[in-house]
Amino acid sequence: MATPVSVHAHAAPQGFIRKYIFSLDHKVIGIQYFFLALTAVFVGMFLSLLMRIHMIWPTAVLPIVGEIKPEQYLSLLTMHGTIMVFFVLTTAPQGGFGNYVLPIQIGAPDMAFPVLNMLSFWTTFVGFIVIIAAFFVTGGAPLHGWTGYPPLSAVQSAGPGEGLGADLWITSIAIFCIASLMGALNFITTTLDLRAKGMSLMRMPLTVWSWFITAILGLLAFGVLLSAGILLLLDRNMGTSFYVPLINVNGVMMGHKGGSPLLWQHLFWFFGHPEVYIAILPGMGVTSQVLSTFSRKPIFGYKAMVYAMLAIGFFGFMVWGHHMFMSGMSPYSAFAFSILTMCIGVPSAIKTFNWLGTMWKGHIRFDTPMLYAIGFVSLFVSGGLSGPFLAQPVLDIQLHDTYFVVGHFHLIMGVAAIFGIFAATYYWFPKMFGRMMNETWGRIHFFITLAGTYAIFMPMHYLGMAGQTRRYSQFTEVAYQTKLIPLQTFMTYAAIITIAAQFIFVINLFWSMFKGPKASDNPWEATTLEWTTTTPPPHDNFGGVTPVVHHGPYEYGVPGAPRDYVMQNDPATYAAH
Amino acid sequence: MHDVTHDDSKGQYFWVWGALLILTGAEVWLGYHSSLMMAVHMLELLLILSIIKSALIIGYFMHLKFETALMRWLLVISVTACFIIMYFFFFPDADRILKLGVK
Amino acid sequence: MADATLEHAAVGHGAPGAYEAPLFGAYSKKVGMWLFLASDSLTFGALLFAFSYNRIYTDWPTPFHVASITNATIMTACLLSSSLTMVLGVFAAQRGDRAWTRNWLLATMAFGTAFIVLHGMEWTKLIGEGLALPGFPRPAGAATGELAEVSKNTPQFAATFFGLTAMHMLHVTIGVIYLGVVALRKLFLPILGAIWLAGFLLIPSDNVFHYGIHVLLIGLVLATVILFLKPKDYDAHDVEVSGLYWHFVDLVWMFIFPLVYLMSTRIS
Repeated sequence: MATPVSVHAHAAPQGFIRKYIFSLDHKVIGIQYFFLALTAVFVGMFLSLLMRIHMIWPTAVLPIVGEIKPEQYLSLLTMHGTIMVFFVLTTAPQGGFGNYVLPIQIGAPDMAFPVLNMLSFWTTFVGFIVIIAAFFVTGGAPLHGWTGYPPLSAVQSAGPGEGLGADLWITSIAIFCIASLMGALNFITTTLDLRAKGMSLMRMPLTVWSWFITAILGLLAFGVLLSAGILLLLDRNMGTSFYVPLINVNGVMMGHKGGSPLLWQHLFWFFGHPEVYIAILPGMGVTSQVLSTFSRKPIFGYKAMVYAMLAIGFFGFMVWGHHMFMSGMSPYSAFAFSILTMCIGVPSAIKTFNWLGTMWKGHIRFDTPMLYAIGFVSLFVSGGLSGPFLAQPVLDIQLHDTYFVVGHFHLIMGVAAIFGIFAATYYWFPKMFGRMMNETWGRIHFFITLAGTYAIFMPMHYLGMAGQTRRYSQFTEVAYQTKLIPLQTFMTYAAIITIAAQFIFVINLFWSMFKGPKASDNPWEATTLEWTTTTPPPHDNFGGVTPVVHHGPYEYGVPGAPRDYVMQNDPATYAAH
Repeated sequence: MHDVTHDDSKGQYFWVWGALLILTGAEVWLGYHSSLMMAVHMLELLLILSIIKSALIIGYFMHLKFETALMRWLLVISVTACFIIMYFFFFPDADRILKLGVK
Repeated sequence: MADATLEHAAVGHGAPGAYEAPLFGAYSKKVGMWLFLASDSLTFGALLFAFSYNRIYTDWPTPFHVASITNATIMTACLLSSSLTMVLGVFAAQRGDRAWTRNWLLATMAFGTAFIVLHGMEWTKLIGEGLALPGFPRPAGAATGELAEVSKNTPQFAATFFGLTAMHMLHVTIGVIYLGVVALRKLFLPILGAIWLAGFLLIPSDNVFHYGIHVLLIGLVLATVILFLKPKDYDAHDVEVSGLYWHFVDLVWMFIFPLVYLMSTRIS
């Protein structure tokens, strides 16, 4: 048998292009993903700002973009949703921080397949370019929402953005699927095969567990979206009728016949619901890590946390129908989906209580990462509590497609995941760039963002219960909805302030990257392996040696230990824990 | 790892190949004798034969039978579970469309 | 088992035993390929579910005559035999017998190519008889026979048939290119280029494969990038991993053949 060639024996590359552009180093790729997501989040945020302004001042003529027409509002919400879900919430926590931190945390010199890793980043990048291109083609961006429901999305003549723009949209999603598949199998293989000696499964940091489970979800979910997208492309361009029944658009009978829009909804949400957990699980991992570190206490119920994440991943595949209660789906399925959805509340509650238990009587250090982790728990609870309402078909029929839903998923999947990303950024920034971020501005950023997000998304629950429908570009024409405009105006002002506060973060990020105080190897006095190596880590992460792991990931306050924390690679044993 | 022990047992692969061809022949024969049973049972029978064939391919040609038990079970169970979950929700729905008479 | 595992694990890295034993006891590339196949089987699974979903509530026609079924049976036999030659190729590679590795891989590719060509001819025949998608180029004397009625009355039939088999044909084509790269490396690039050019020039422009052949061009570009980005001698592991992919393509056909063809046989 030929001696297997080590897959990550690549030497440190010379030259700018191989070192920073087409790099095989997981750390560089992680930072590339991070900046891609940062660009995407600003695009997405800008779109949401335009939407909020249009809702309140529909006839306002804005600089550069001009006056927004109602159909352009639909394009804005489609692109806002798609860019945020795919290129921010999926890309940043998994592609960015997962790529950077996972190999170091398990003691590996790189990912299992560095070339594949590079390809998956550049494929994602191409996907991003393609979706941005949809703004600039004839007809503009598509208007079918991020869920792309047919027949609207499947008929070229259905609206102004449904021509080339929608084709680009689907192509971008398909490219993103392929990129995510490559990333996911890389993450799983790395976790299975490249753990340092002693890094047993139950010694992996919860961040590694969360990225691992996220990768499994991605592996199983994105393949289904890929085939759903292929069928949609066929419907649009080859005249097939997978999703389109007999349909009349603007007085013209389309050639389609016999398809079922429900099929798309099933296939899409079979991917779409796991996608929610793809976005939130890494945030849960980071929160666990940060809460334990800054409370100077072991995580409360490590095993329960792992099993809870596995349970969430498992149930995540069985609940997609709760997005479809209004679709005319079989009522028996709706009943099953409702029960299964409420089951997810159990592992979620386990996690919440364990986070609180971790902080209970800890010596809490309120650094910025800790603030964001606490913010994550807060948003997760606030957003999660509206989940059981929507899980019940009877209530969902009232609340479906209202602002209640918008408030729910923005809190739990949107902003909570973003808070996870912020916690991760403030936490790992010293390791990634060798300098500390500014604490004062970090705290100011946190408090404005927390108050801002609640001010934007909490009123949405009231609006939804009052019957305000989502995806309406303006509310001036419907009598009962005009009464709600003052609350919408308040939300718009809150959004403007919150978005402005994000510039504090960006300036802090770039300023600290070059001017911040130098970081030590372990500024947070944390225990996991990334803090045992130098800052920033060398090309092969540990300078030619592979660490040996002797301890669990969260050994804080161990009796008999010289410090209040025990590094994972500390060979000494202390009093039984 | 069984690579070494199975190196010299090429014969079994010819047997598997033969079995696959025979099963294919049986399927084609069934395809022309659908009058023997109801269409649903015919579908079930064909699918069972297909699953046997794919099990032979996965187990022998793709060598999964000789991998570690953990890999074997995790891969097979995760994919099968997804299919079972989809089965229980997709088909009642399609059936409902039939009953509602939507065209 | 531990020693064999370490030998297999692509984690040599100059310090054997620096890592935990791989959880799946296999080297990384094999695990990676298995994971890809798990994902891909869900892609195909979703397509088959879409097919069945449409089929359940549609009055399904049974238009395939003996000629189609015979052709499809021969194609099935080709794929099954290609799997056997692939297994023999993997054995040759594990023995270190380079000549026979290459021969068996070429035999596998020949069976795969036969499958694609037979399938392409079948498509062309069916399209000529009127079973077509609205988006296909219309061949010169397109018939208005029984099959044309089928695609008019039950558009789902043509849609699922072409959708499923096209996706599978794409996978077979990728598989043949993959095996070609493993077997012949850079030598394969001019061959692939020649096949693409010949196909593009010789297939008339009213045939759907006049456009479909461009898959080979995309494959050529990707194969070139990969071969020049990471020039290497493919070892027994690479052969085994490519074999996994090939058997999977075979496996998918084992479901498409009975569902698409045999459940739609015309019994006179």
